[in-house]
Amino acid sequence: MIDMNKTLGIGSKRARLLGVILLLLLAVTLPLIFGMNLYLLTVLVLMVIFIIYASSWNFLTYTGQGSLGHAAFFGLGGYASAIVASASGLSPYITIFIGGGMAALVGLFIGIICVRLKEWFLAMVTFGFAIIIQTLMVSQFADISGGWDGIAAPRLVPSSIPNYQLIEYYSIVLIAVFVILLFYFILKSKIGLAFAAIRENEIEARAAGIDPVKYRLFAFLVSAYFSGVAGALEIHNLGYITPEIFGVDISFWPIIYSISGGLGTLAGPIVGTIFITFIWDGLQSFGLTYLRFVIIGLLLVLIIIFLPKGLISLPDKIKGYLGKRQKKVQ
Amino acid sequence: MVVSSDLIIQVMIWGLYAGCIYILLATGLNLIFGVMKIVNFAHGELLMLGAYITFTFYAVSGFNPYVLLAASLPILILIGVIIERTCFRPILGTGKLNEIFISIGLIYIIQNAAAMIWSDEWRTIHSPFEHITLKIFGVNLPLDYLIIVITTISILIILFLFMQRTRLGKAMRATSQNRKGAMLMGINVERMDMLAFGIGAGLAGAAGTLWVVSGQVFNPYMGSIPAVKAFAIVIIGGLGSIPGAIIGGLIYGIAENFAILTLGGAWKDAISFIILILVLIVRPTGIFGESAE
Repeated sequence: MIDMNKTLGIGSKRARLLGVILLLLLAVTLPLIFGMNLYLLTVLVLMVIFIIYASSWNFLTYTGQGSLGHAAFFGLGGYASAIVASASGLSPYITIFIGGGMAALVGLFIGIICVRLKEWFLAMVTFGFAIIIQTLMVSQFADISGGWDGIAAPRLVPSSIPNYQLIEYYSIVLIAVFVILLFYFILKSKIGLAFAAIRENEIEARAAGIDPVKYRLFAFLVSAYFSGVAGALEIHNLGYITPEIFGVDISFWPIIYSISGGLGTLAGPIVGTIFITFIWDGLQSFGLTYLRFVIIGLLLVLIIIFLPKGLISLPDKIKGYLGKRQKKVQ
Repeated sequence: MVVSSDLIIQVMIWGLYAGCIYILLATGLNLIFGVMKIVNFAHGELLMLGAYITFTFYAVSGFNPYVLLAASLPILILIGVIIERTCFRPILGTGKLNEIFISIGLIYIIQNAAAMIWSDEWRTIHSPFEHITLKIFGVNLPLDYLIIVITTISILIILFLFMQRTRLGKAMRATSQNRKGAMLMGINVERMDMLAFGIGAGLAGAAGTLWVVSGQVFNPYMGSIPAVKAFAIVIIGGLGSIPGAIIGGLIYGIAENFAILTLGGAWKDAISFIILILVLIVRPTGIFGESAE
């Protein structure tokens, strides 16, 4: 039997519902409480975009895959959306989904090569594709991509509209909720069961008539698509895009967020992104530059060793520890 | 463009030199993989540390940097042992993705700690032989390249003798062939893990020193790309196969330099992955690897 709680998150049903409501409440009210604090709003927008991105990356791990090169999809989504939006004059609200489509198209090509590979091979090939795509962007496609200088991207909401940043923020939150709900329903369906079967034991899954290649490819496509959407959202928020977007950092961030929150759970990437963003921006306000990378690295190593299921397993772990101590006292 | 035979030999020499660096890195990765069955993605950071430690000794003493290799090597081995003991041993056997993730943590820690210690500006070490170029059959062969090739070959021979002739080397080979069997024969496999990681780190440090002595500029972020290339070489040559690493490293160095010549410098890094992907499409377990799983 596959425990659905495991794939969807940890904790009782009531606790989970409470958590979701609290999180949504905070997401809606936080910018209103602090008024039009531009710094806070910028941090929140980036955080929500990275929640979409990390959740999409994490979607791969349900089938036992991983990727070190998701920046390829993040960046492609951004480029495609920026180019289409400035060439056709369409609203970025439409072109972000075209950007996702471009990322998914390339994802299909990469996926066909990758789904048969395992662990290290997969990691290397995905990493390599991010570098190959960056190279193509600055050499062969430099005419349309602007080379190393990059290109400008229209804003999600034109700045002539009052409170445009607030509108942007709420629409990005809405997209994030939609993406996570979609992942929830996919994982609750038969497809989610097939994912778990492939992850736990591929040979048995095959024997039960599940085609691992088909499902892995599906997971890869969905993951690439929404990574592309997240990338498009980010560049329409920033207003420009350069090939730096294909960098190693952009590939590693969703991994760090997902691991620190908890791999293979819906809540993990959300909790992880919020937690790391807080630490990251907190350290920045202390004026630390290199040291904050060192601290994030140390945190990652400690979480992998001592909390292999991520931060969302922390309450259970504390409960277990307290329970043991109580027994000793008795 | 006219491709003369002289030019081809010249590119081969550049490739041979770049190949030496990759061989040292790939051999270290393979040694660690053979014994522990893990992949250290932070291997390039050890290369960077090797370069910086030699650089520090050089700045303090002003000795010939090739001689200083003997001083930085033991430090790198010690760093390798500490990393194995604190980071990789606790996660041994907990899933293959975990070692990739812990390496990402290590990359962040080592790179930025180095940036704090040595700052992130570009540095160089000047070899005392940097202006000496031998002319053999009409091709230019910088003396530094020759020293690097000879140093690499000697390091590999010492490693070979250590693995074949000493008790410790035999114990390491036994551990990589059959961990449980080695344990039953009274070999302390955890000590073998430490040793393999230490030697691997030492080889990476040697690669870093040779890389920067030959006139390459370096900064704390220089290690990542050579390391992923070394890892690609390991995959091409077959996981755990040291002859595969040597042949793969040579092919790689030469292919890369031909790619720069024909496609342009922008393709330097991408070409290695194109080779890797082509190899994996044809042979998902690498050229020399019998079975990776």
